[in-house]
Parts: sequence; structure tokens; C-alpha cells
Amino acid sequence: MTTLTRPHAGTGNGGVPARRAVLRWGWRLFRREWRQQLLVLGLLTVAVAATIWGAGVAANTLPANPNYGTYGTAAALATLPGSDPHLAADIATIQGRWGPADVIENQNVTTGSTQSVQLRAESSHGLYNGPMLGLVSGAYPSGPGQVALTSQVAGMYNAHVGGTWQAVGRTWRVTGIVQNPSNLQDEFALVAPGEVPHPSQVIMLLGSPAAQQAINSIPASNQPVLSGIPAAANVSIPTDSVSTIPPGAIVLVVAVLGLTFIGLVSVAGFSVMAQRRLRALGMLGAIGATERNVRLVMIVNGIVVGVAAALAGAVLGFAAWFAYAPTLQQDTGHVVDATNLPWWVIATGITLAVATSVLASRRPAKTMARVPVVAALSGRPAPPKAIHRTAAPGVIVFAGGVACLAFAGGPTGQSQHVALPLLVGLVAVIVGMFLLAPLAISVLAAGAGPRLPVAIRIALRDLVRYRARSGAALAATTFAVFLAMLICVVASIKAENPLNWMGPNLAGNQLILYVQPQISGGGPAKQLTSAQLASLGRQVDRYAADLPAQPVLPLEVAGVSLFRVGMQQHSNLTGTVQVVTHFTGTVYVATPQLLARYGIKAGQISPGTDILTVVPGLAGLPHLNMSWGNPGAGPGGGNQSCAPSNDCLPDPVIQTIGGLPDDTSAPNTVITEGTVSRYHLTLSLDGWLIQAPGPLTAAQIHTARQLALAFGVTVETKSGSVSLGEITDGVTALGIVIALGVLAMSVGLIRSETASDLRTLTAAGASARTRRMITAATAAALGLLGAVLGVAGAVIAGLTWTHSSLSDISGGTLVSDIAILLIGLPLIAAAGGWLLAGREPEVISRQPLD
Amino acid sequence: MLELRKVSKVYGQGAAVVHALSEISLEVDAGTMVAVMGPSGSGKSTLLTIAGSLEEPTSGQVLVAGQDLATMSRNDKARLRRQSIGYVFQDFNLLRGLTAAENVALPLELDGVGARKAREAGLQALTGLGLADRASNYPDQLSGGERQRVAIARAVVGDRHLLLADEPSGALDSANSDVVMRMIHAACQQGVAAVVVTHDAQLASWADRVVFIRDGRIVDQTAPAPGPESLLGQDR
Repeated sequence: MTTLTRPHAGTGNGGVPARRAVLRWGWRLFRREWRQQLLVLGLLTVAVAATIWGAGVAANTLPANPNYGTYGTAAALATLPGSDPHLAADIATIQGRWGPADVIENQNVTTGSTQSVQLRAESSHGLYNGPMLGLVSGAYPSGPGQVALTSQVAGMYNAHVGGTWQAVGRTWRVTGIVQNPSNLQDEFALVAPGEVPHPSQVIMLLGSPAAQQAINSIPASNQPVLSGIPAAANVSIPTDSVSTIPPGAIVLVVAVLGLTFIGLVSVAGFSVMAQRRLRALGMLGAIGATERNVRLVMIVNGIVVGVAAALAGAVLGFAAWFAYAPTLQQDTGHVVDATNLPWWVIATGITLAVATSVLASRRPAKTMARVPVVAALSGRPAPPKAIHRTAAPGVIVFAGGVACLAFAGGPTGQSQHVALPLLVGLVAVIVGMFLLAPLAISVLAAGAGPRLPVAIRIALRDLVRYRARSGAALAATTFAVFLAMLICVVASIKAENPLNWMGPNLAGNQLILYVQPQISGGGPAKQLTSAQLASLGRQVDRYAADLPAQPVLPLEVAGVSLFRVGMQQHSNLTGTVQVVTHFTGTVYVATPQLLARYGIKAGQISPGTDILTVVPGLAGLPHLNMSWGNPGAGPGGGNQSCAPSNDCLPDPVIQTIGGLPDDTSAPNTVITEGTVSRYHLTLSLDGWLIQAPGPLTAAQIHTARQLALAFGVTVETKSGSVSLGEITDGVTALGIVIALGVLAMSVGLIRSETASDLRTLTAAGASARTRRMITAATAAALGLLGAVLGVAGAVIAGLTWTHSSLSDISGGTLVSDIAILLIGLPLIAAAGGWLLAGREPEVISRQPLD
Repeated sequence: MLELRKVSKVYGQGAAVVHALSEISLEVDAGTMVAVMGPSGSGKSTLLTIAGSLEEPTSGQVLVAGQDLATMSRNDKARLRRQSIGYVFQDFNLLRGLTAAENVALPLELDGVGARKAREAGLQALTGLGLADRASNYPDQLSGGERQRVAIARAVVGDRHLLLADEPSGALDSANSDVVMRMIHAACQQGVAAVVVTHDAQLASWADRVVFIRDGRIVDQTAPAPGPESLLGQDR
């Protein structure tokens, strides 16, 4: 045996070779132990993926220019009615005065659905219509009898390129599929210029330099007026784009908030890892590693975790974005270029994710590096720091945040005015809760009296002893609950506005066939004759019988609308203005057939009731009026007061009744027959509600649409709207899942720090039941505190921001979600802790290093 | 090589005060192996950690290779451990994630020696201990005896002057224990000063001197009594 001569005498911290050695070890440890860091890896991965996906959505939800869909690149748009007797001459006059223009002729075509379709003649190579016209497949129409359809029109008529399409009394050959890239809802059939037989409207896109100059010289407050325009023409100009916060910046702010939360979780996660490696780190110190080297081991772990999560998140995020882009295109109604991404936001998000991981690893790294080598070698953690804090800073910051939210003006405020106070308010509220979290633990533990079982006492006292860690864990749990509950509160307040009630329009098995004809051919809408109505009714009955559905329910209306008159501060803060808000739904008539369908008996209706509704909050809404008859005399039209003599009833008696359906297009609000007869209102049929035993198929909907098309009326089926319950339940579930993840990590950390106590307990004869009880109580206590703080903070912040009161969110949906969080989260946490704990410590005396 | 002058170590305060060491003085010359024996809680391990600069004495003076530890910064002490002091622990304390060769080379790399040269030195040390063929194995792929031999290689690599071993054979069977002691003894013959804490009188017989500690005080220092192991020592 020989000792060896040192090849080279090193100095200081060992320089690059030492760092390389530490890096290598850190990397190898990550490879061996990455599974134990799955929560942090997963959260960071999701954060990066969500940032990329969110950036894509934010950047592409709005079109590049909202005016493109209507104006193309033109400076102005002149509209001439098809009924203009001097149409050709007026077109020539405008072109002569304002230079060459794109002339677009439109004629409405009946389709049998609520979606209107236009037969449109325009040049495919116009001067300004480039953003409004794109060829998807085939070719543009170039001559008489040729047409190119949008894909939805082609689908509606089962037409295809090379086939034929019949409309406006003639047969057209389909040459291609086209679209308005800036407005995919624009359903039209493109024909060559001059091929529209009876245009209902002619649009001229003007964009010559002269027109540009003339438009630019118009003051913003004035109506656009161009000289030399015929009297029949109506001129409009693109609206100025409103300067708002860039969507990318909003995504980045959300990402920062999310990463702050993840950072807290990561600190706990890295602390667990550092704890596990304590003896190895001690050994490193024993053989001569400096504190800097020891710190570097943990920071390397943070770097590797951050980079790995960034890579995985980038792959996941881009995959999700490219998969979602077609759906977004469908939802937003304009062409979405999937490669149009705010790369600076994505780069910043990825960098922040790595930085979060590195920063989160620094604290445990610093802590571990300071542990004396002997203590580290024996696996003894650093003694917990005593924290003595007052509630004052937390309360002050929280109150300041609430004040900022109150000033922010609510969800309908002007964005440029509310963005800063909203952001500051949210951050302050969150920081305030973080500061209060450790104190909440002390308050709870103060109740750990001697009468409690020993396991619960130990658990609560350990939470206080290790408050530096349990406080961070509680803050992260609170944050998860806070975000979930804040979304629930704001969604509830927005969705449960009784006048603008949101939710699904119909159930999947429902269909309404309206008898009101759609506007067609430029002429006035033709009402169905009695004979047509009777014929349509018979066919609807047959259609329903084929489904087979319940007997068709006729929906009758009495021309009644509800509105509320209120005062609102003027935007320039110089006074108040009268604001009229209409009830957005249809008020149907509570016919005996309708009441019977929904199981409402006459005895349930209070005498004198004017309106029955299922909409919460509508009854008792102040300053609510009901109008009928001449619209000009009713809802805000003119200065007449609301009185029956003016076809208006102030403060109608409204009764909330449970039997009515709560879908927004279904009869959720009905006028009683007594009120109809009292005010001599005229009834008319609005449509038929058909309810099948199961969800309607595409073929059944198509059949209904064909039926409607034959009579020139429309059908309505279930849209993609989600209900409030679906939103809040989903968000609540997500909040609970994230909170449980945090709890799993932090309870593991706290229990690992008290492992020696556990070993002592085991040696003293404590059973698995005691060990399970300790872990369950730890998890339940953190879960309960997180739920209470998060819910309370979110309710206060949400109500303050929306200027609402508790009664506005007292609906069953939100109350059940609050109950789930307050009761469910601690219970699930306790159950998880009970199930996952209880294993007897493998080594009673000492854990081996390798 | 190692000199302790009236070293005392006190843990705790008030009623909980514990005098782990009381005015211990000890001198270990180069090429000498000293065995430290004593009952549990007598202060053996504390003596070793103070001698190795892992803990600071409450009073007294510790000199390693003539350098007073009290005058050294934490980084200086870390460098001293990298360059002059080797540790061997009962439970090996090899780093998972590093191969045997990398574990041995680690103190050199931490000291700024390039990875290739450090690895060569590590391989040389392992070869000297008969573990050349296990150089690429990770600790969990080695037997207990092999792990301790790797730990010894790590303790002596790079011209170390002082080897401190805390129950180096505590987790080994008697055959492996002898092998380990033989290796430490061989290192001493190369000029290394060694302090070995042990409970085992038979293993202590490998030492040039045996120090007995009780209640933090040296109660006796003797040359080991010749026993059956001394026969083995004849061909050391």
C-alpha cells in the first residue's frame, strides 16, 4: 500500500474541477432520484406548457386587426341599399370622386338555420378585400353560373367542389371552397362580379390616397363624412384600435403568479431532497468541500430540474398549442396562424421557470450548507428557527390589496384604468395571506390542549415547531385554494347577473323551432300565414314523434320585455347617466300546457304574481320594469314614466319558482296568464320546444334544419356554452388537486424532519394507528387552514373587486363549492395522510448513507 | 503530525451541560497508529471530529501538521481536510451516484485537480487496495468490505498526512476488519499518522499505542498487549 502524491496543489474553492465534480454528482443524483421530484418537475412542466399554450391563445384570440373582417384594408366603407333606384349611377359617382373601389354585392339566401348566408359577388383580386377573402380549395368562380362556397355553407347543402348548388332560383356549379379569413362566421357563396341577380346591399371599399387623407382629417368625435357621396350611401370607417394591455403581458403576469406559487412548492420539494441528502452533503464537507461546493450541489439540482421541466413543458406546450389552434380558429371565427406566437413571452416564461427552480433551490441549499458537518453526518437536521411575527404586516398588506381591488372598478371597468390597481391589489392580497399563514398555524396549534389525543397534539405542535416550512406549505395551499375560489366567485357574480344570466342555451336533447322567419332577399321578413303555421305545426309534431320525443311544447310570447333603469357614473367622472339594462332572455307565457310540462300547479303561484322565474335574484331586483306594446314608449325609449298607460309596469310581482328549466333559451322566465289578461296583451306563437329522450344526433338536427328551411324559419340547438356549475366545479376540483399535491409534499417534509420523533414513538411502542394519526392530523390541519384562508381571501377580494355583496354569491353553486373546499379538502388530506403513513421506520437508530 | 493541547469540549448549557472532553492532550507522530478505546459516550468520536477540524473545541489547541486550527478560516479548514486529513467512517459514507473511482478522486477534484489526473490517482489508489476491477462500480454494487476499502482509498489519496478512522470495522466481519486494519497500518508505514477509534481490543492491537478514554479524560496510554493478532503483525 502506498500513499499517492498529489498531482497538483489546489487552492481556494477548487476552481473549475471542483465545480465540475459537484455538477457531475448533482446530475447523477437527479438521474437516480428524479422520481422523488416529480411534483416540482410536473408543476414546472405544466407552468411552461401553460405559458406557451396561453401565449398562443392570447396572441391569436383577437384577429391581427379587428377591422379586417369588415373593411379589409380599406379606409372607408360605403353601403348602398339594393333598393336604390340609381344604384349603378351612385356607384359610378363614388368611384369617380374617391377613386377605384372594391364593389361587393350581397343578396341574402334562406338556409333554414339561424345562420344567415349571403350570395356575394366580388372580385377575388380586389384592391382592399385581401384580408376578407381566401381560397381554401378549388378555384374562385370566374364566370356565370359558377360559385365558391364557404365550408359551412357547403356542409349545410351537402355541396362539394365540382358539384352543383341551388339557390335564388338557379343552379350553380361549385368551383371551390372559400372563407373570410378575418371572420369565419361570415357564411357566403361567392360568385363572379355582376352575378348576383337582386342585391339587397352593395358595399364599396374605398382606399385611394384621397380617401385615406379625407378620413384621416376627420376628428375622432365626428361622424365620417365624405364629400360627393350620394344621399343613399351610408359611410363608415374602421374604428380605432383601443390601446389595451398586450395579451402577452397578461399571460406573463399570470405565469409569474403561477410560478410564485410553484416556487413555494419547489422550496418545500427541494428542502425534502436536501433533507434526504443531508448525510451525503455532510460527507462532502468532511472530505473538504467548502460551503460553496455544498450549496452548488443543491443548486445544480434546481438547475437540472428547471431545465428538464422547461424542455418537457416546451414540448408539451407546443404540442397542446398546435393541437388546439384549429379549435381556437373555430371558436374565434378568424384564421389562426399557429406559428404566430409571442416568442418573447415564451422565452421569458421558460427563463422564469428555470429561474424559479434555481431560486427555490437556493434557500435549502444555503440552509444545508450551514448545517455543521458533524450534525449533517449524523443526519440531524438544522434546528427549526423560532419565528416571532405579528399579524400587523399581513393585515396591513391584505387590507391595502383589498383597497386597490375596490378602486380597480370591477370586471366592466376600462382596462387602461384598472389594470394597475387590479394587479397590485391581487399581488398584495396574496402577499398578505402569505404573511398571515404562519400566524394561522399558531392560532390553530394554540387549541391543541391536553385533552386532544397525543397524536394530534404532536402533529399540531410540530407544525408550530417547523413553522418556517409549514408556513410556506400553508401559503402555497392557500394560494391554490384562493385562485380556485376567486375564479368561482367572479364567475358566479358574472354568471348570476339576473338580467344577463349566462349558461347553456339548451340541453343536448332539446331543440327549439322558431316560427319567426329569417330576413331574406333584402325584402321585409314575411310572416307565416295561418295555413303555413298549421302545416309547420303538423310537421313539427311528426318530427317529434319520429325522435320519439315528448309532446311538442308550444312557446307563446306576449311581446313582453323586462328592463332595469339605473344610474351610473359618467366615464369622465363629471356626473351620472341613465343606464337601461335589458333582460336578455325571452319572457314566455305561462300557459297551462307549459306549467303542466314543468310540474307547476296553480296552487304554487301566489296571487297577483306577474312573472314566474327560475333565475335567482330576478325577484326583488330594484327598479325593474316590464314593458309591452310600442317599444318606443317602453324600455328606456323616450322620457315617459313607466306606467300601464304607457305599456309599462313598474316593479312587476316576480315569484321565483323551482320547476322551470334553467337553460337560457328554455322558458326560464314566464308571464302569468292573469297578467296577460289584465293588461290585454296579445299572444303569439314564438316556436316549439322539442325534447328528445336522448341527445339529438347530427342527422336529427339536419332534418329539423331542412324542415325550417322549407318554411323560411330557424331552429336552435345546444351551443358550446358551459354552465356556471361546470366552471366552478372544475376550478374547485383543480384547486383541491393542486392543494393536495402541495400538502403531500409539505407533510412529507415536515414528517421527515421529525422522523427521529417517529422512530422514538415506534420504539416506545406506538402503533401504526398513532403514526397514521400524526400524518393525517398534520395534513388535515394544513388543509383546513389553507381552505379557510384561501376561501376567505378569495371571497373578500372577489366581492370587493366586483362591488358585490355576500347575497350575490349565496346561490347554491358557490355555497356547495365553498363547502367542498372547507370540508372536503381537509378530509381528503386527512384520508391521504392516513393511507400513506403508518409504515414502520426502516431503521430505528440511524439511516445509512448508501 | 497531530497535536491536541488541553482540549475540552462542552455541549449544552446549564443543567443540560455535558463535558464531552476535558483537557485532553495527545500527540500523534507521522507513521504512527494510535487506537482510541473507551466506553460509549466517553468522547472518542468527539476527539476525532475535533482533531479533524469538523468541530471546534471549547478550549485548548489543535495543531495539524503544525497549523493551529483555531487560526484557520472555514475555507482553510476545508482545504486542510482536502489536502491533509482523510476520514474513514463506520458506515463508509460513500456518495451514491459516483463510482468507486470517482468517490476516491473526489477530494482531489474538490481541491482543483483536473478530472483526468484525479481519476488516474483514484485508480492508482484503488489498485493499491486491490480494487482496480471494481473502479467503475457504484457503492451499492460493492460489498461492505469493498466499500470500506474504497473509503480508505479516498482517505489516503493525494498525499494525506493524517488518517482519522471512526470504528472503521464496525460494520464488517472479522476477516474484512483485519483487511481494513492491515491497510491502515500499511498507510502508516508510508508515513501517515492514524487515529483509529475502536471498541475491539483485538483490532487495537494493530496500533503502536492505545489511548483509553473515560468521561472525556485520557485515563491510560499503553503499547498494545501482544495477542494472537501480533502474530499477524509479524508480516505487516
